Formats: sequence, C-alpha cells, structure tokens
Amino acid sequence: MAEWNAYYQNEDEDEEQEEGEQSGDYKVTGRDSLVFLVDASKEMFIKGEDGEPSNFDMTMQVVRSVYTSKIISSHRDLVALVFYGTEQSKNPRNSFKYVYVYHDLDEPGAKRVQEVDALRGEKGARLAAETMGSGETSLGDALWCCANLYSDIKLRLSHKRLMIFTCRDEPHRGDSAKDRQARTKASDLKETGVIIDLMHLMKPGGFDVAPFFRDIVSQPEDESELGLHLEPCDKLEDLQKRVRAKEQKKRAMARLNLCLGEGINVAVGIYATAVTARKPAAIRLYRETNEPVRSKTRTFHMQTGSLLLPSEIKKAQTYGKKQIVMERDEVDSIKKFQDPGLYLIGFKPMEKLKTHHHIRPAVFLYPEEGEVKGSACLFSALLMKCSERNVFALCRCVSRRNYPPRFVALVPQREEVDEGKVQFTPPGFNVIYLPYADDLRTLDPPQCPSASQIQVDKMKEIVSKLRFKYRSEAFENPVIQQHYRNLEALALDMMAPEDTEDLIMPKVDQINHRLGPLAEEFKDLVYPAGYNPESKSVAKRKTAIVGGVAEKKPKAEVPEDELRAHVQNGTLGKLTVPVLKEACKQFGVRTTGTKKQELIDF
Amino acid sequence: MAGTKSALVLCMDVGFSMSNSAPGEEPPFELAKKVIQKFVQRQVFAENKDELALVLFGTDSTKNPLDRDGQYQNITVHRHLMIPDFELLEEIENQVHPESQQADWMDALVVCMDLLQTETKGKKFDRLNVALLTDLSTQANQDHLDVIIENLKQAGITLQFFLPFPAEDDEEGGGDSDRRGPGHPGTGKGLSREQKESLDLVKHVMLSLDEEDGLDQVYTFRDAIEQLCMFKRIERRPMAWPCQLTIGSCLSIRIVGYKAVTEERLKKMWVTVDAQSNQKEDVKRETVYCLDDDNETEVKKDDTIQGFRYGSDIVPFSKVDQDQMKYKHDGKCFAVLGFTKQNLVRRHQFMGSQVVKMFAPKDDEHAGVALSALIRALDELQMVAIVRYAYDRRSNPQVGAAFPCVKQDYECLMYVQLPFMEDLRQFTFPSLENNKKLSPSDTQLSAVDSLIDSMMLVQKDDDDADQKDIFKVHHIPNPAFQRHFQCLHHRAVNPGTPLPPMEPWLKAALERPDVISERCQAPLEEIKRKFPLIEVEKKKKLKTSAQIFGKDAEEPDAKKAKGDEEEDYNLADIAEGSVTSVGSVDPARDFRTLIKLKSLPFGEVCQQLTHRIEQLLSNKNTHYYMKSITCIQAFREQSVKLGNADLYNSYLQSLKRSIPNRRLEVFWDLLVQDAITLISKDEVEGSTVSKNEANQFLVVEEKKEEAAVPSAEDTGDVDDLLDMM
Repeated sequence: MAEWNAYYQNEDEDEEQEEGEQSGDYKVTGRDSLVFLVDASKEMFIKGEDGEPSNFDMTMQVVRSVYTSKIISSHRDLVALVFYGTEQSKNPRNSFKYVYVYHDLDEPGAKRVQEVDALRGEKGARLAAETMGSGETSLGDALWCCANLYSDIKLRLSHKRLMIFTCRDEPHRGDSAKDRQARTKASDLKETGVIIDLMHLMKPGGFDVAPFFRDIVSQPEDESELGLHLEPCDKLEDLQKRVRAKEQKKRAMARLNLCLGEGINVAVGIYATAVTARKPAAIRLYRETNEPVRSKTRTFHMQTGSLLLPSEIKKAQTYGKKQIVMERDEVDSIKKFQDPGLYLIGFKPMEKLKTHHHIRPAVFLYPEEGEVKGSACLFSALLMKCSERNVFALCRCVSRRNYPPRFVALVPQREEVDEGKVQFTPPGFNVIYLPYADDLRTLDPPQCPSASQIQVDKMKEIVSKLRFKYRSEAFENPVIQQHYRNLEALALDMMAPEDTEDLIMPKVDQINHRLGPLAEEFKDLVYPAGYNPESKSVAKRKTAIVGGVAEKKPKAEVPEDELRAHVQNGTLGKLTVPVLKEACKQFGVRTTGTKKQELIDF
Repeated sequence: MAGTKSALVLCMDVGFSMSNSAPGEEPPFELAKKVIQKFVQRQVFAENKDELALVLFGTDSTKNPLDRDGQYQNITVHRHLMIPDFELLEEIENQVHPESQQADWMDALVVCMDLLQTETKGKKFDRLNVALLTDLSTQANQDHLDVIIENLKQAGITLQFFLPFPAEDDEEGGGDSDRRGPGHPGTGKGLSREQKESLDLVKHVMLSLDEEDGLDQVYTFRDAIEQLCMFKRIERRPMAWPCQLTIGSCLSIRIVGYKAVTEERLKKMWVTVDAQSNQKEDVKRETVYCLDDDNETEVKKDDTIQGFRYGSDIVPFSKVDQDQMKYKHDGKCFAVLGFTKQNLVRRHQFMGSQVVKMFAPKDDEHAGVALSALIRALDELQMVAIVRYAYDRRSNPQVGAAFPCVKQDYECLMYVQLPFMEDLRQFTFPSLENNKKLSPSDTQLSAVDSLIDSMMLVQKDDDDADQKDIFKVHHIPNPAFQRHFQCLHHRAVNPGTPLPPMEPWLKAALERPDVISERCQAPLEEIKRKFPLIEVEKKKKLKTSAQIFGKDAEEPDAKKAKGDEEEDYNLADIAEGSVTSVGSVDPARDFRTLIKLKSLPFGEVCQQLTHRIEQLLSNKNTHYYMKSITCIQAFREQSVKLGNADLYNSYLQSLKRSIPNRRLEVFWDLLVQDAITLISKDEVEGSTVSKNEANQFLVVEEKKEEAAVPSAEDTGDVDDLLDMM
C-alpha cells in the first residue's frame, strides 16, 4: 500500500504544476484521525499560581489551535473531542457512564471551533461544570467509547491517534480492577492500530508515569529514550509544540534509492518539511443550491465537433515561420534522462555550499529500513561522518519519472533534543537544490564607495539595539490568516471577522523608541545635509507622471496591412502587448488576457 | 526595459590550421563549429531581439567592406547583423567548411568592429560583443594595436576569445573548469611559436580592456560547449526593483533589487494541434460544469458562484466580497523587523524560489555608503536583517532574511524568503544514533571515511591554499534545456525523422568525473562488504484494485460488493423496464440488465458501455478507475456468456494502445492486477486470440510502462514576483 502511494501520489496535480513535487498532500491514502481524550476531573480546573491558566483551559487552547490548523492544512482529517471523569454522560449508545463525547470523529468546521472556544477561560470552566460536571473516572470505559468512535467510521482511516490529556497519574486511585480494565482496553486499541499518547500536565508533587500510564501509552517507534520520560508540561507553548509534533503524520513524498555505486542502494524517503501554504483554490458552487459542481474539460474538433482522443492530438511550438510538431510521448521522452533516484557524485566541504545558491525549498531525507534492510545503518554512518568532517554529499537527483535531473546537496543534520528530551531537530540529510548555469543571472553591480569604520560602527550600534532571537514559527502569514478569518466569519454569521495581527509588520514605534538618537546620528554620518532618501525618489516619480501621461501612451496602433504581414510571417511576437491588444480590438477579437502568447494565439 | 538587446559578431577561423588535430582528437574546426551551432540554436529558440553576424576568416575568397589594396584578405562577412533564424542554422550546417587559407585574426577583429559600428547605426543596442574562435596560428599584425584597443573601449565593444587550449596553465586555476583532467584537446600538442606570441597578444588585449578579470573571458572550445559562456556576456540583465530599506520610520536607505538566482524555465509552451492537420485552430478545449448527480446535469458557468472550504463547511464567497475583505497592504516595501544571528536562520528553511540582491542605486553614492555601513556591520557581527518584503501592492508580503555579502568588487544584501508558521511541518523521526541496532561499528565508520576521502570533489593544491572544485553545478547548463533545443532543432530541420539520441557530452557532464570514479572503486567495494543491504521482499506489493479501492473509495462495504457479484440484478428494476440505456450511475449493472432484456442489439449495448468507460477514464481518479474496471469485467463476462469475443477484444486492444498517451498507466496496472485479459479461444470459440496471447497481452505492457510518461508541463511560476511586470 505504502509503496503504491509513494509512486502514484499527486498524479492529478502532476499535470498542473511542477510545484506539486513539493506538496505533501495525499488524497489516496485515506484520512488521518485524532481523538482528544481530556480529563474533566476537578483537578484539571485548578488554576495555577499568579492566575496561570488551568490545565483544562490550556488543553482547550491547544485543541482549538489543532482544529484551526487542521482546517487550514488538512481539512479532511477527522478529529474528536471526548471528556472523561465527567458527571454527565453523552455517548452514541449512552452505554458508558462518566464519558462525554463533545465532538465525535468528523472533519472540523467553524461550528466546532466555536464550541471549543466556549470551553475556554473562566466562562468555559463554568460552562463545562454546567454541561458535564466532574464525576467518577473510568479510563477503561472512556477508551472503549473511543474505540467505538473509530469503529463507527465507515471511511478508510490511514493514521489513528489518541491523545490523553490529564494531570492525574493515578486516575482510579489504586482501584486495581479499573486499572486492569483500562490496560486491557488500551491494548485492544493499540491492536487496531491506534497510537496512544500521553500529554501529561503539571500537578503538585510531580507526575509519575510509571505506575499506571506506562502500560497505557504506545511504545515509541524507535524504543529509544524518546517519548516516555518526558517532564510534564506546565507551559502552553510546550504543550502546543508537543501536540503539534505528534499530531502531524509524516509521509514521504517519494521513496527513492540513494545509489552510492554499482549495487549499493540505500532506500530513503523524501519528506517536505516546509511547504508554502497558499490560499486554497476556490470551488465552484451551483448558484441555486450552493452545492459544489464538478468541472470537466473536453477536447474536441472544431469542424466535426467530435471529441478528440488523445491519439488524435499532437503538440507543437512555432518559431518564426516554422512549426515544429511532436507526438505527445515524444514531448515527454525529451524530459527523460534517467530513472528516478539519487546518485552520489562526490563530497565537498560545507563552505562550498553558497548561501545564494537557492532555487526551491529544501526537502528532508530519512532512511527507509522497511524497503532495503541495512539502509538505516549505512545512512547513519554517512550522516555521522559527513557531519563530523563538515562535508556535504553532492548527488544527481531525479525525483520522479520523466523529470529531468537536478543536482542537490545532501547536508547532514544531527539530531537535537531540548531539555525535556523532545526532539526539535530530526536526524537526516537536508536536500538543497542547486542552480544550473541558466539559473544564475548576470548582474552589473554598481560601483559604490564603501563605508568608513566609524559609519559601520554606528550601524553596529543600531543593529545591536534591534537584536532578537529569530524563530521560524514566529510569523503567521497575514494573507492566509485573514482569508480564514473571513471564511470563519461568514460560516458563523459573525458581524465582522476577528481581527488578525499582522506579525510581519515592523513595530515602528518600538523601533524608533529603541533607536532613540542613533538614527539621526547615523544619518549625520552618511547623508549630507538636505539629503532625503524618500523625497528624492518621490520627486522623481512625480515628474515622470506629469511628463509621462501624454507621451508614454502612444496610440498603440499598427496599420492593418503591416499586421497581416506579421501574421503571415509569424512574427507577431515582435510586437508589444499594447499593440497586440489594440490589434485585437481592431479585428473585433475579445480579449481578457494580457500575456503576449495569449494575444498571439488568437 | 523591453527594448534591451545585444549585438554580437561571431568571428570564426576556418583557415587550414583549424583542421589539424592530434590523432583521436576532434579538429578545432569541428569544435568551434559546434560552439557556434549551439549558440545560434539557443538564440533562435530564445526568440529575443538580439542580432547576430557571422564573419569567417581564412576563407579562400574575400568579401568584406574593408577589402582594399590587398588588405584584409581572406575574410568573409558571411552574414550581416540580423536576428538569427533557422536559415542561419542550416547555413552553418551546410556552408561553413574548413578552407585552405590563413588570415590575420587581428584583421578579422577589425572587420568585426567595423561591422558593429556601421550596422548598429540608428538602432539601440545595450551590449556589443565580438566572439573570436581561432587557434591563433597566424602571426598577428601588431601595428595598430593601441588604436584598436582604444576603439574597442570607446565603442564599448566587449571581447571574448575561444581557443582550442587554455589561456593559462593550471597554476592560476584558469583552467579550473577542465574537469575531465587529461586529454583536454589541444593541450597535448604544445603550442607553436606563433600561437605563443598570439596568446600573449590576446592576454595583452584582454587585460587592457579589463585589468582584473579580462582573462575570464578567454575560454576553451570545450568549456564553451559545456557552459554558457557566450550567453552570459550578452544576457539580458534582470529588471531593477527600486525601493527603500527602512529601519523604523526615521531611517531609510534607497536600494535597488535584482533577481539574481531563480529557477529558469522554458519560455514557450506546447500547444495542442490536431494530429491530422497540425492546426491548433482545429482543436478546442472546453470546460463545463456539472452537478454531482446521476445525470451529471450540466450547468452554465454563469450559474455558478465561488466558494471556499472552511473545514467541513463550504462557504459561498463571491469575488467581490473576497476582494473587499482580503488582506490589504501598502505595497512595495523592504522594512527591517529586527536583526538576528546568522546561525539562527537555517539554510534548509529558505523558502520561495529566488534570491534577490539589493544594491544602492547607481547614481546615489550616499545611499551606497549608508547601505555599505549596514552590510559591513551585519557582516562583522555575523548577523542578518529579518525583513518584511512586498514586491508591490498586488503581491503577498513575505518575511525573509537579508544576508550581508561582501565581495572584492561589490557589496550587497541578499534577500531570501523565510517560512511562515503555516508552511512548517514539524516532523519527528526516530533517533538514529541512539539506536543500538542501527549504529554503525568502528570499521564501518572508517569504510565511510575512506569513501569520503576518495570522493572529494574539491582538491587542495599543494603549493597554493586555493582549492580546486572539479564539479561546479552552477557551470553546467540545464540539461533539460539543452536536450529540448537539440530535439526542436532536429525536428525543425529534419521533420519526419525520429528524435536524435542525447549528445554524449551532455550525458557525460551529468556523470561522476572519471577521476573520482577511478579513485572510489576500492572504497566502494569495501562499503559493499561492510554494509549488507538486503532488499526487503514485499509479500505482495501491489494489490488488486478492489483491495485498494475498497479502502479508498470511501464507500460502504455493501455497495461495493454489488458490482462484483455476477447475478446481482434487482428483479424489480427489470420488471419496471426502467433500464433503457447504459447509464452513468451503475453502468455495469445496466449493461448486464440490457443484455438480459435483449431490448437492444449486443453491439449497441457494448458501444454504450464503452462510451461510459471512456467517460469514466477521462476523470483520472482512482474511484472512477475502479468503476471502469467493473464495467470491463462485466463486458468480458457477458461477452464470454454470449460467445462473442470480438467486440471485447478489439476494444481492450485499442484501450491498451491508448494507455501511454492518455497517461492511464495507473489504471492499466490495476487491470493487470485484476488479470483482466483478452478472451482466448479456450473460452470463446470464435476468438482469434490464443490462450498464450491472451496472457501475454498484459505481460508485455509491464515492460513498456517504463517508457510511458506522466509529467508536468511547465507552468508559470506563481511566486515569480519580479516577472509580474
């Protein structure tokens, strides 16, 4: 199954854009699912010192952020929210006491986000007390109930995860029968492929995983130190990080062989760890019913009106007067150089990797022991040695069938864990795509005088005043955030969308304040009196506008016979866009395009 | 900026010495001709306005405007300055031959300069360049050397030399792109006295024009073929993006950005034409919208509105509303948010597809000084600026890093986009080092050590601290372009013949350098011994379509089972007589029903069914593939029942033929998995297919599949902000 997907993933997008290579969206594997099983006992509602939020409040914030991030990044995943240790019960057949299914497994939507919001803060705690209350605890029943949620789903689930949020390390207070029942249920769940994680929260006296929860949670994949011996979370940020790390299922974009030489193939998976998130494409709805419509594209013959089979079409490009025609499979075969795979060329010291040699986001390489046994060992040895010797591996890379080769640098990355033993940098190679000669443009840098050391030192003071610790996850994309706030507002009939803070806006006042007199001092050092970098260009632009309007837009017209000559010679490409547009008007052709090719094609 | 263009004179020596070569080596003439062909080929396909002239020297005849009193002899202006075309390509192919005279290359240069000066009159060119391809075998007349150099400078004409041998010995790394090591053409022979003298002259000329980097423009033929030397010189410069770098509201510096690195794509797209007429006007593509109901009711585009998904909700959201409510900003901007340590910005987190270099404006030295202060401050502190970057009002703002870049002859900031929180996927992977089962032993590690030693692409010269890089990726032209142009050129000149094989040098340029291949033999053998690699046998890699789709199709089990069962008709349906044609909801069942009813001729029902199958296959969706397969199964089963194999067999055969073109490999694989073969003689008497053939039918295709091809058409780069103008 996995094999199949790796090979045929993105078949649809494939046709549309090469960027599909970067995207990690998988439609074929089935849905991911995630159940939040949250302790609703009284202990969870105890507020921290200094008005710190309660564990329950913290959990709800995390649940909400997972909901909204799922909506943005993977809306087809299923999420459920279940409380245990409640007074009230609410579950499908109402067969379990003290278990409250707040949301069953489904795609998250606007309403659910709102409902989770309602449980946040002071008000939320009151609402929780009213609707659910806190009662006895039977984790076994809760797990059983969750098992039913999974089995009620008729869809294919590819990845099943259950996260327990609690601050009680002995939920049944030593009731061994209940403990046993919970263990049995947990192992049943694990049997059916559900991975159980514990998100244990701070409690006075410390959280001891050993007596009970050790047998409940799933063993970490690698049987190493990771996973179990975590410190309990006491900070929202940590909890969020921990949940995020677990919540996203990693999937390989492709599985390839890294070939070192004849017969030495290391199986590796390629993972996209950073993919440009875009506003999703709009979908078309039928005006009457608001139901989505499907689009079908057909190719047919203009004269006969019959649908054209693929064998009845060819591909062509025209240069000058010459039309060059190829079969469709020829067009594809031109792009084929080698079969997919990574092929080692050699090694280079790290300083040979230039910062400016950047053409696309990097991807990540990790061994696939399941494909070729021994891969992990050789991979690990390569990783250790490359890292130790500060070299990168240069490879030729064909990422998919009929893709022309690109060269990549495999940059070693050793594993790094934080104090809580949570991995924040995974071990593996980062794959940096390198530019070809065509990708580097020739520039003519202007000759400018360099700054003196005094000027440089003054700037250093400015730089030091504005230092901060960059974290890549610190900046939200204001465009996407606004888009989703708008949708949220429309979906929930809100009066106005929630405000978004534009995090990539410079905090001008703060900066000015921090710099104080430094800005003026620097300007005195580098700019002569009366020099204003802003006004200068503004003034320039103004004159351009004043003088430009009349002459800059000459009537873009070409005599008809000249135009015909161009058409006959196939040299329309030499005309400018406005001229072409005008010509289209002249001949009564309606255009909306602004691209030259489109206009010529008419 | 659209008006920028270059004028270039290719000046090629065709004299008799150009045909000389050591045994087993290509004569310089052939190499030089290849350089010119390659270059003209690219120019033709680039369809820019650059103009080109071709001057040959060493020709038997003389044809140039300076031909007077026995001066400037044996020099022929083969083509005057104009836009290159296929004709020129054909002329070079068929009319440029080695000739038997020799001519003074300095004279030829003068002819080129004269040509540039007279023929560019009244036209505007940004760059004038002369490319001289010669083996320097003739003694050059040095009488007017100073005048010539002065003239070159005044006219702003740049020079490039292409020689059969490197201009410098390896000591200065001048031949550093000579990655194939020994066997470089020309180097073996030793230079003649004339060549040595001429070479000194060339160096003198080049260094007079550009003291520092003059010699960078002297290439070997081999380099010229494998790199893009000529293009780089006349290449159009990227568009300027003037803006202000701001730090708070009180401090701003005028800057100009240029896109310096970006993935170049082919400019021209393939258009679809009718296979018979080759006319694109005969083909029309049309997109229709239809409801997701049984009849696939078509609706007009005007009757649809725009909506977006918000998780499980679908929110109608018109374009007008969207524009009104969308994120808006003030447009063009390069504003510093703060400064941070360079090592906090990790290389693998670079986003986007470009690097923009920021300079001060050419005419503003105050801005230059201010920017220089910032660049140097950042460089000395090992820091970067984190900035908000917006190309213009219409484009989305980005967050990115501006790195300081201090080079010998210029300073700039290099801007790279960084990720937004939404872009990041925080994956954790099992530890490798802490896993005892996986950790390599010391002997294994030392095997890897010696592999790395043997495969270092950078070699330290003993006498020099300089390192020599023998595999510079950024000197290799994109092989996809090379191949593309080669094939277009071939098809244009030789229509009707199959595409040529890949050029050997191109293939070789993508391989491990020979030196490395030799050196790493033994260490690789060692790796092979020390690291056992066993391919894991997959119990059953591919599953049948039913297995795959049973899970994927997201259909309740009961419904799915239906199509598979043979006699699963609903009697009520038949009694009602509701089935009159093969519908789209359950075509297989309709088909069976209609055959049972015998209300329509078998042939017609089959036609209706195949029509439905074609419809389904046009959807390229696994769910529809599954449905088509049940249809084909029904087709087969009924055909066998009725003892009529012809329709089925011929349909399946034609379907098979169309697989590669329609990119239906995935579907075909499923068909193979389900072992849906042709109907053989053994099953139906009338069949013309033997049992063996029937089975073979599927097998053959498996091999063929390799050559078949899904692949992406180049589309415009969405992020290509600078190109939006």
